[in-house]
Amino acid sequence: MNRALPEILQCSDMTVLERQRARLKWQQEQFQQHQQESYFSELSGVFSSQTGHVQGFRQGDLMSCGGAAGGGDSVLSDVVMTRQLKPDPGLETAWPELGKVDMGAMGFGPCGYGNGQSFDMNQAISRTSSCPPAVAAAEVKGNLEKMGLAVERDSLKKRKVEKLQNSKVVAEDDSKRIKASEEEESKITGPNTRKSSNNKKETYGDTSKENSKVSDVQKPDYIHVRARRGQATDSHSLAERVRREKISERMKYLQDLVPGCNKITGKAGMLDEIINYVQSLQRQVEFLSMKLATVNPRLNFDIDNLYAKDVFPYCTTNFPTVGNMAQELANHPPYVQFNPFQQVVSGCGVEMGINSTEMALQRTISAPVSIPDTSFLNTSCFTGMQQIQPSAAWDAELQNLYNVAFTGSIEGSDLKMEM
Amino acid sequence: MDLQNLNPSSLKSRFTARFLRALTEINAPKTISSSSPREIFQRYRRIKVAADKSMAYSVRSRRIWSRATLWRLRTRSRSRRLVSFGRRASVKTRTTASHGKENKEHHGAVLGVQAEELRELVPGGEAMDLCNLLDETAHYIKCLTTQVQVMRTIANLYSIE
Repeated sequence: MNRALPEILQCSDMTVLERQRARLKWQQEQFQQHQQESYFSELSGVFSSQTGHVQGFRQGDLMSCGGAAGGGDSVLSDVVMTRQLKPDPGLETAWPELGKVDMGAMGFGPCGYGNGQSFDMNQAISRTSSCPPAVAAAEVKGNLEKMGLAVERDSLKKRKVEKLQNSKVVAEDDSKRIKASEEEESKITGPNTRKSSNNKKETYGDTSKENSKVSDVQKPDYIHVRARRGQATDSHSLAERVRREKISERMKYLQDLVPGCNKITGKAGMLDEIINYVQSLQRQVEFLSMKLATVNPRLNFDIDNLYAKDVFPYCTTNFPTVGNMAQELANHPPYVQFNPFQQVVSGCGVEMGINSTEMALQRTISAPVSIPDTSFLNTSCFTGMQQIQPSAAWDAELQNLYNVAFTGSIEGSDLKMEM
Repeated sequence: MDLQNLNPSSLKSRFTARFLRALTEINAPKTISSSSPREIFQRYRRIKVAADKSMAYSVRSRRIWSRATLWRLRTRSRSRRLVSFGRRASVKTRTTASHGKENKEHHGAVLGVQAEELRELVPGGEAMDLCNLLDETAHYIKCLTTQVQVMRTIANLYSIE
């Protein structure tokens, strides 16, 4: 079935629908094989080199493209945006490599996507593939692959080298077609596939011509798009459409990120909201840094504290008892018994020591490390604590502070012992 | 949120670690007496720079905006030290701005005005087309919210009264 499909596709006497069905089946098979590989984004179109070789692609990428149900565009294959385009020596040899070789980057110019980028694109993928996405995408993908290969063979046989207007345009065209077919596929079934097949027929000659050219190796890979029914198939408009769809997809994602954007429609309003949100976040950062500068000038910002905050939920239960012990604690330097945590505790206490030791104690208690249970604290500490050592200057300062706040009640030897 | 912070490789924990280390350095040499407004302002600036820097480092220059932030911070520190060569820094910013304007005209976006504003907000946004700009904005927003969360937590921890 797998290998028979291209031959079947090449039979001109086969109806378009039959071809599509065959493709769908093939795609489904292929998809099930490569189900895990989805990674990238909306317009992954893959294409082969100028000579019509199929470079290969990633199955998952097609998912986002959705795919030409009717697909059989010669250039339809998925592209991973940031992978490199590698020419295959021949179409026949390319067959077994389907799905193995990675494709180059998109032909849309420098995309900002690094290999590490994943989260937003994955969400984008989930958004773009609407209906039974996996199956549909798989089907589409198979169709695309098959048709692409079939067409390439045809083009190889029939056509000599013609000039591609623009490899980028080809990619954009293809990606638009893919996008278009994807959208159609999302509605699915017969009529839509027929439509797309009609479109495919319209653009078939065009794409095959362009595909046969394909790009030189250095150019980023192409995204093949099919024009929707009744829409212009001009390469420029197709490129524009792809671009617009990308932008709208990103805007949708941003809409989720920015709170309160659900009611707003239209790009302009959305952009305004986004701008306001970014500005407010930046102002918040400035405000918080000012707050940190003024409020806690002498606290030791150890990582301990933040981890101790994780401990804090456990601390809260002991709060009353610790509060009762406040009086007791006030009489000795209790937190001195704690290990490095004490520095924070003492820091807190010392800062307020001028007002009242009790207040300081409450402050220290509310601070992450309040339980007078060193073992508990030790167990709850994370390992990174060890690397945070107080500076010598800080030690000296701490001793001075202690002297100031607890004149006479502090025994220097005890302090040194604990520290 | 607290437990998530224990994941050592998450953005939040990376940023927290770096930021706390920077804060320790900033606050270490201070004494009680130094709380004049000028010192506070200086400390504020240093903390702000530390926050931005640690966030950019946590992203590890995988993103255009983080690379732009780091580059900006480096050139600013350099320009401050070498006052006589301050022209260079300003010239650089001017060139990037002009380059950005050309791009803007190229992309001829329908939303030119807002896109321009967004470009100014997002570091490194001058030289990006709208598509990538939106992408970078999304990641930038995510990192900013993390930054605000962590800083708010730290500020609350030490300002309980």
